[in-house]
Amino acid sequence: MKRILALAFISLMVTVTTACGNLGGLGGPTIKIGLVTDVGGLNDKGFNSLANQGRLDAAKDLGVETSVTESKKQEDYVPNLTNYAQQNYDLVVGVGFLMTNSIWKVAKQFPNIKFALIDGAPANDKGDTENLPNVANLFFREQEPGYVVGVIAAMMAKDKVGKATHNTVCSMGGIPIPSVDRWIAGYQDAVKTISPTTTILHGYSNDFVDQAKGKEVGLNHISKGCDILFQVAGGSGLGYIAAAKEKGVYAIGVDADQSDVAPGTVITSALKRVNKAVYDTVKAVKDKAYKAGDNFFSATNDGIGIGKIDPVVPANIKTAADQALADIKSGKIKPKTEIQVKG
Amino acid sequence: MTAAATPSPTGPGTAPSVRQPTAQWAQGPAVPIVSVLAALFAGAILILVSGSDPIRGYLALIRGAFGSPYNITETLVIAVPLTLAGISVAVAFRTGLFNIGAQGQLLVGALAAGWTGAQFSDLPGIFLLPLTLLSAVIAGGAWGAIAGWLKAARGVNEVITTIMQNYTVVFVMHWLLQNGPMTAPNAAGTPASSPIGAGAILPIIIPNEIVPLSRLHAGVLLAIAAVVVFWFLMWRTSLGYELRAVGLGARAAAQAGIDPRRRMVLVMFIAGGFAGLAGMIQVSGLFHRVFDGFSAGFGFDAIAVALLGKNSPIGITLAAILFAAFARGGTIMQADAGVSSHLVEVVEATVLLVIAAEAIVRALAVRRGTPAEAIA
Repeated sequence: MKRILALAFISLMVTVTTACGNLGGLGGPTIKIGLVTDVGGLNDKGFNSLANQGRLDAAKDLGVETSVTESKKQEDYVPNLTNYAQQNYDLVVGVGFLMTNSIWKVAKQFPNIKFALIDGAPANDKGDTENLPNVANLFFREQEPGYVVGVIAAMMAKDKVGKATHNTVCSMGGIPIPSVDRWIAGYQDAVKTISPTTTILHGYSNDFVDQAKGKEVGLNHISKGCDILFQVAGGSGLGYIAAAKEKGVYAIGVDADQSDVAPGTVITSALKRVNKAVYDTVKAVKDKAYKAGDNFFSATNDGIGIGKIDPVVPANIKTAADQALADIKSGKIKPKTEIQVKG
Repeated sequence: MTAAATPSPTGPGTAPSVRQPTAQWAQGPAVPIVSVLAALFAGAILILVSGSDPIRGYLALIRGAFGSPYNITETLVIAVPLTLAGISVAVAFRTGLFNIGAQGQLLVGALAAGWTGAQFSDLPGIFLLPLTLLSAVIAGGAWGAIAGWLKAARGVNEVITTIMQNYTVVFVMHWLLQNGPMTAPNAAGTPASSPIGAGAILPIIIPNEIVPLSRLHAGVLLAIAAVVVFWFLMWRTSLGYELRAVGLGARAAAQAGIDPRRRMVLVMFIAGGFAGLAGMIQVSGLFHRVFDGFSAGFGFDAIAVALLGKNSPIGITLAAILFAAFARGGTIMQADAGVSSHLVEVVEATVLLVIAAEAIVRALAVRRGTPAEAIA
């Protein structure tokens, strides 16, 4: 018995050493990109999955080697970022504002490794923003796509198109933070500008994951006459859309094109092309054009946009939406960044 | 049976678990070890099916958990709250109560520690650290004692109350931390509290000169102390004897003059205190503040840790390290070998499944007439 155990142990050790040798053989001149998601995970149909799409696109087009790590808890951010930095990755991308302090900690320890943070800037232990020479902050002007879908919502409500009969539009955020509120601010700005008589309601699910909470807010909004619902709440927002589907009213998706979530219900989506931000940053690292500090993605560089528009939306409204996007690009329209209707 | 008419000493609706006769082999570490091995085997098959190399995956897992001094310290950082929350579950379990509320108690402790640490941030560490610790233990304990009291006074099932209490805490945290009374003025969009004072911080015990970036804090010493306290309390004090007596049979304990109701409130206070300490350690050792979504899930993993560790001090410690290794190693497995880190959750779930199956096997063994002398 002892002999068998010893043999098993030796064979295990041999496997370990050879396998480690194999792992050590990786590397070489290829550029290595590591992506760390936040607790939303890869299947959030939102910014984590988009960031991962950008990683996969970069791997395919740019010939870089990539890897992804899903964070399960906020405790995991520091070790997950550190793991890539310790292995001398060329670029470590963190997804989400929840990592602002973690990326500050890790990037300070590894001044020779480049980092990028979606939706945030590094924040020190006191919570103050402190930019670092090796962290690129990838920001989006969320108010811009918010404004464009707001144009569609306002005109649908004003003209009482299809099931939109109550002249009331609504929105729901995950939690009240600037990167959520900017979408809503643009949305409300458009509605106030285009159709001042339209009633606006707004609420929060206080969650980015739980669909039930989003659905609850949605059903409440619909009971108050909402027939166009715009969600900015990640997974929780899918529940908001589900409420619209159940009650036969319209919804507007966010981040990614969510028309496939509920066809016929989702009339369009406000897009934030996180994939493009990741892809462009990888490309910048490859082309030695990486820029630390604030990098903005907006209508100007196609970092934002709107998704597929459902056939229920009339042609004149589509044209108006395209015009709004063009006006934002040219600087003629500057959507507001502060929410006007809070309740 | 006339017992239905006589008021039960443990309150209405109470059915404390009575220990089943157990076969000799089920007493030792055999079942936990077998269950872990079986789960790892099942996991290997899943990795194969998902198109990856299980050997490469598991090597990455081992490397991620123990492959370097840094990785070992990170594994221990996770094991600390798991151990404490595991004790919280176990101490209640030993008294015949099922504490699903360790997560909520942990968060209450974290909130108390975060508040105390920030509110009195000017105090020197010699006062502030004990104050922060005590506030967390008392807050977590009081929160746990609510479920104990409801059980003792009204016979409300503690499983239900502790689960509901978990939700309550989560929503109170939303309120406190999302532009609420505890939100830091410069939180920069992150729903977080103000940082605690320097005196409330648990120092890093392995200097960064030895292990660069190490986050291993003095909380690990508190966890070891807690394991010893748990052992001493349960097996070396008369209170521990009484608690275990209630756990083995509340009615028998009542006959022997031990009032199960008072012990239930007390043990839930103790359980909540251990979980609250876990929360305090996460605040004082790791984050130095509280934020929304804090330490998600440790209190639930702790149930698995207590079950796998058979509610014993050593067992819980080892099970906590194992689960911490799964958590840390699983993440690295994804980064290095491309195996989804969710697979580790499948492995953890399989461990539980096998442990649960033990109860079935044991019942079958008893029916088949396993010799009575094998019963410990």
